[in-house]
Amino acid sequence: MKTKLIGAAIALAMGAMPALADYPTKEIQGIIQWGAGGSTDTVARAVTPHAEKALGGTIVMQNLTGGVGAIALNKVAEDAADGYTILFGAENPLLYKVMKLGDKDYSDFTPVNILARGTPILVARPDAPYNTFPEMIAYINANPKAVKFGSTGPGGLPSVVTAMINSKTPVDVTYVPYDGDGPALTALQGGAIDVMPAVLGAAIEAIKGGKMKPIALFDVNPSAALPDVPTITSTNPEFADYLPWGPFFGVFVKKGTPDDVVAKLVAAYAEATKHPDFVALIEGRGFTMMSLSGAEADAFLAGWQSTTSWLVHDAGLAKASPADFGIPKP
Amino acid sequence: MDILTWLLVPIVNLDLLALIAVGTFAGIYVGAIPGLSVTMAVSILISFTFSWDVYPALALMIGIYMGGVYGGSRTAILLNIPGAPSAIATALDGYPMAQKGLAGEAIGIVTVVSFIGGFIGIFALAAFAPTISDFAIRFQPRDYMMLGMLGILLVGSLSGGSLVKGIFAGAFGIAIGAVGMDPLTFTERFTFDIPAMRQGVSFIAVMIGMFGISEGLMQLHTIKATAVKQKIGRIIPSWASVRRHLPLGAQTSAIGTVIGALPGTGGDIAALMAYDHARRVTKNPEVPFGKGAIQGLVAPETANNAAVGGAFIPMLTLGIPGDAVTAIMIGALFIHGLNPGPLLMTSQPDMFWFIVSALGIANCFMLIFGLTGIRFFVKVVEMPRTVLLPVILLLSIVGAYAVNNSLSDVYWMLGFGVFGYFLRLYGYPLAPVILGVIMSRLLDDNWRRAIISDREELDRLFMGILSSPLSLALFTAVVLIFVSKTPLWGLIFRKKG
Repeated sequence: MKTKLIGAAIALAMGAMPALADYPTKEIQGIIQWGAGGSTDTVARAVTPHAEKALGGTIVMQNLTGGVGAIALNKVAEDAADGYTILFGAENPLLYKVMKLGDKDYSDFTPVNILARGTPILVARPDAPYNTFPEMIAYINANPKAVKFGSTGPGGLPSVVTAMINSKTPVDVTYVPYDGDGPALTALQGGAIDVMPAVLGAAIEAIKGGKMKPIALFDVNPSAALPDVPTITSTNPEFADYLPWGPFFGVFVKKGTPDDVVAKLVAAYAEATKHPDFVALIEGRGFTMMSLSGAEADAFLAGWQSTTSWLVHDAGLAKASPADFGIPKP
Repeated sequence: MDILTWLLVPIVNLDLLALIAVGTFAGIYVGAIPGLSVTMAVSILISFTFSWDVYPALALMIGIYMGGVYGGSRTAILLNIPGAPSAIATALDGYPMAQKGLAGEAIGIVTVVSFIGGFIGIFALAAFAPTISDFAIRFQPRDYMMLGMLGILLVGSLSGGSLVKGIFAGAFGIAIGAVGMDPLTFTERFTFDIPAMRQGVSFIAVMIGMFGISEGLMQLHTIKATAVKQKIGRIIPSWASVRRHLPLGAQTSAIGTVIGALPGTGGDIAALMAYDHARRVTKNPEVPFGKGAIQGLVAPETANNAAVGGAFIPMLTLGIPGDAVTAIMIGALFIHGLNPGPLLMTSQPDMFWFIVSALGIANCFMLIFGLTGIRFFVKVVEMPRTVLLPVILLLSIVGAYAVNNSLSDVYWMLGFGVFGYFLRLYGYPLAPVILGVIMSRLLDDNWRRAIISDREELDRLFMGILSSPLSLALFTAVVLIFVSKTPLWGLIFRKKG
């Protein structure tokens, strides 16, 4: 305890000292795009203390929610490109343009680190009368509109997974909207909805506890966290066109930030993602570690945006065509 | 006995005990300042306690939570500005007591009943957690919708003089709650294409303005009046008076625990429903409700503290948060390498009993810190208006800014303050406005979810309500309370009588 206080005092003193190194000379502001307690928040707050050590500076974390994350993105985009305001964001901004939620996306930012990606999984309430994806499809076809799918608004993970399903095997189900996957998964456990496309990490504990039933993992390879859950491609290989696909978390700075500052942040976060505690958190929650930066990160973002924008556009969910923004077809 | 060992962990470790004490003390003051919320404090603590062990980190958070829920009553009683939404009902009878010079007595009784309510919630958590969470999770959208309808009917209890004015105020609140991007369809409502309005109006800002600024403006009318001299008599309520309110307190604590345990509702709705319950079951209060009835303090304050234990019930049994604070604590558990979910109670029972024990200790510290320093605090009411009013204004602005670090919230707060002043001037009650804002989403979202779930067919929805015992019970309650509150009902009975 005492050492922590001394550490805090030293950190404060260092923050107050005049510039010894070039960067950082003052506190860095970290803006988290989603609310406290959510997965973006958890991942951002778990990786940052390790990065602070590598960086030798203080990053003050703050949640700035609203507008599907656009409020936070715009705030960082409006601040100076000096590396003192960094954005902790998820995949959503890559769809802002086609969903008409904003005119900025990650092309206005430099990725510091694409930390990890999630894997979608289709889960059902435990007493649902089907166990596999083909069984579910057969049941839906025999009982049109009877099965209730949870949804969280156009552009979110459930809408994208639903779009994938509809493009390969059109289903006639009832979509019940929830404001977030947390409330929807709660409703699933209470039987208010039957099926929910979710990110593996949000469902993993409830699956292990028998409170919900896994139908299919939306990936080409099984997950180490739940090795018995069949992948969608094992029963329906046609889904391989879209996979692997998943939501992701990343650290970003405004485009135009000096190269040496970006390099320092990139090094710090690359170091932080190797910390055993962070690795354990990522694996425990069923995420896949990526830790991409530079050209790799840019290529990942471009590929993700192209696949997903066209998918939601073809499903009729988009408000504008990806072609209008020069987003190439996959 | 393993359980006993786990329960003793925070008691025998002095550093944990000290952290709970510090947390509770800080929580009372964080809770008392409008705009500084427990949710905010706990999310800041996640980063702050990152490198600590999980026990000390949780000890501090639990202290803040327990203290903060209680602390909201302080400013509600002394200044008529609820420190948190869960203290809105407390202001209705607490502030009139302060105006009669009974602020000390009001704080004293609130502290004791908060302690009692807190313990009932913790007891329910310790003894019945799996049963209550099984029940809570069964609530369907249609049940939440009817809970929202019950909530809207509270307008009758919160209106004071004129029901018509109360309904107007409630409807206005519902409209305010609808502003912004609709979370179900992502369509903008009442935003007039102004980007800043997409996030909606922060209802904490509305609350601070409506209560804080408008109170300040009202007091300008009587700026020269001398402040009410506070009677410094008995602060700690007598056992007899506590015992008299125990039956009511037990009922409202049960309401608080269940509403707290429901994943879609929290302490604010619990306190308002408990207040309404008190008005219905108290036949002849010594002092009328709204004028300083003790029952009007007992009900909301037992309920909101019982809701703390309640909120932990789904969190610890299923990994589902009972409210915004427990949602953040789930994130904290993940960061500390735990996996909150249905297996937590079997794989790490020590964590469950540690939290139960820490809550109990925080509850005791709340009683101690709550009862000390009252004499000093009641002096706030005796301050000259020329000093008090600028302080209220400052607190309101800081509070509104702190909600989202956004200046537009300050403008909303000021705007609603001026509007609230005119409402007060023309005898419109303010509590129904806040009630409307709180209930708006609960009612609107769940009505649409319910009707969508039943393929947008009204007859299917009604069949669903009739076939589920829970829905049927809620439906009956809605109908009975509605009918009993219509003026027509009263007219018929008066004519017959």
